[in-house]
Amino acid sequence: MASVSLHNISKVYGNTRIVDDANLTVNEGELVVLLGPSGCGKTTTLRMVAGFVQPSDGSILIGGEDVTYMAPRLRNIGMVFQDYALFPHMTVAENIAFGLRQRRVGRAAIAARVAELLDLIQMSARGDSLVTALSGGQQQRVALARALAVSPRVLLMDEPFGALDVRLREAMQLELTQIQRRLGITTVLVTHDQQEAMILADRIVVMANGRIQQTGTPDELYHNPRNRFVAEFVGRNNVLSGRVEETRNGESLITLRCGMRMLVPTGQRIQPGETVAVTIRPQHLMIAGTRTADADALTGRMEEHRFLGNVVHYLVRLPSDDVLLVEGAAGMAPPELGTDVSLTWRKDRALVFDARGQALHGE
Amino acid sequence: MPSCSTHVGKHSMASNANPACCYRLTAPAAGGPPRSRRGRTGIRWEWFLWPSLLVSLVLLVVPQANFVWLSFHGDLGLGQVSAGLTAENYARILTDPFYLSAFWLTVYLSAMTVGFGLMVGFPAAYALARIGGWTASLLLSLILTTSLITVVVKLMGLNIILGSAGLINRAILALALTSSPIPMLNNEFGVFIGLVQYTLPMMIVLLFGVVQTIPVSLEEAAAILGATRAATYWQVILPNAKAGLLASGLIAFNMSMGAFTSAVLLGGGRVRTVPVLIQQAIIQDTDYGKGAALSTMLVGFVFLINVAVVAVSVESSRKRRWQRAG
Repeated sequence: MASVSLHNISKVYGNTRIVDDANLTVNEGELVVLLGPSGCGKTTTLRMVAGFVQPSDGSILIGGEDVTYMAPRLRNIGMVFQDYALFPHMTVAENIAFGLRQRRVGRAAIAARVAELLDLIQMSARGDSLVTALSGGQQQRVALARALAVSPRVLLMDEPFGALDVRLREAMQLELTQIQRRLGITTVLVTHDQQEAMILADRIVVMANGRIQQTGTPDELYHNPRNRFVAEFVGRNNVLSGRVEETRNGESLITLRCGMRMLVPTGQRIQPGETVAVTIRPQHLMIAGTRTADADALTGRMEEHRFLGNVVHYLVRLPSDDVLLVEGAAGMAPPELGTDVSLTWRKDRALVFDARGQALHGE
Repeated sequence: MPSCSTHVGKHSMASNANPACCYRLTAPAAGGPPRSRRGRTGIRWEWFLWPSLLVSLVLLVVPQANFVWLSFHGDLGLGQVSAGLTAENYARILTDPFYLSAFWLTVYLSAMTVGFGLMVGFPAAYALARIGGWTASLLLSLILTTSLITVVVKLMGLNIILGSAGLINRAILALALTSSPIPMLNNEFGVFIGLVQYTLPMMIVLLFGVVQTIPVSLEEAAAILGATRAATYWQVILPNAKAGLLASGLIAFNMSMGAFTSAVLLGGGRVRTVPVLIQQAIIQDTDYGKGAALSTMLVGFVFLINVAVVAVSVESSRKRRWQRAG
């Protein structure tokens, strides 16, 4: 096992900076997920670690060894591709043995290792099947076994669960985390699915527009996002725009576009008159009934409700035309569509971001 | 690649050496879906087969059948054939070393053409498929455009390069490598060059489609697993391209077996391939029986080779699977 470090990595195609000055250290045995919308540079970053893409700038270290310009075949890395990239003309066992054959491992040793991996992925009976005869989940497992067969220093995975249906995906995610923990292999996984990232990751690296936005545990990203992008991308969130009325002692009085006023801790960086964005999670908004005397309550029209089993999602349109997502416990009878409802919220959970999207909380 | 399939059809029809084409045209009507089956639109799609069936019947099946019939009659000279049926034309061809060596020469030249074409065409097709985008489309269009130029014009152009006073020979003489020009035209080498020029564009277009079906990720997977470029080529690219290489090779082989223009123009009448002998028998000697027999044998022979090659390849892949299972 080995750590992976990216130092000031950039990739430029023409005038576009696909990856812009990325710095990242993946510790030994850690599972790090690169998360971001398509085109954010996450896959390019992964492919630079694999060696398929040459960085325009910066250096990549694996286990302390500079591999920036090393050919992929010499890096001793395992990789699971988005389309699995299994060799269609080979059996399951031949696919798993491929990397060992390239390393000129003896016949007996190969057979033993292949048997070991077939056991790991619980497919001992399917060694002689052609990979084209397998289901999606089985192909996924074979791809993982093939990558692990050579005992790589690092495991890379590019959207590995994208092609699977929801049920199978959850099963495979569980299986992967168990295998990864058992082997203790350093893993870098790319996905655009924030839920998948939170399920799998020890740490998540959120990327957008080629830049790393924030690196942290799922908990840190969810509760303490460093900028507005992370706040909106990780977990569901409501964003309201507002304006700073006055600041004193590190707190600001903010008037939201919907008419709400609130006093929140914002640090010293903000000046009166500046526009800000306030985020509040759906579960921190509560439907207070049809009307309340609470002066801080928001009034809006119930537009939609969706029963999701354990919770109910409500969409409430404010007079300012902002639509808020409210998450409430199931069980209570939902207000009728089209009626006016009052919302109260836990202001201590609201987060404030300046006009550039930088967090003003927690400084 | 829609343009590619139309090309295949055109060439194999023109050369008449690919029996598969007439099978393709007649089969749907004979063993096709029941006539009552209508799509959701209520259109009887099978009716659309009739015009092409009629055309191929009138222009291909009837004349060819007539030709086969003709081949069982003896030649009386001046275009007259005997009334009775006889197999003497076939007996004469099969016992005459002259004709047998003509068949051998035709197969030999065609096989050489296919071998050389695959060696040159596959890397080119591979590169084009991997470059992709506009560059590949443009280059592929250029390659296709060359097959638009009449074979006659193309082959005459080769004189400028290969002739005894051509560029290559002048260079050789200037460098004093030999004392006299090397003959590259009016011999087998000339025909070989002509056949390569005739079939190569088609091969590249077909192989381009083959390479496109092999995802780049397979090569990346091989690389990250430690395979060298050579190992990736032999163990991943080639096995996955095998069926496509075989099909493209067969098509080029069939084109070459029936190629007449290249053999006549670059062989100078001295290289007697079977198509040349057919032309001589029918046009010069008006020995319709003999010409028809030669032609029938050529078609039958090429058909057998196609069947044999396909059968062998299917059998070998079946065996491989069996060995694995057992």
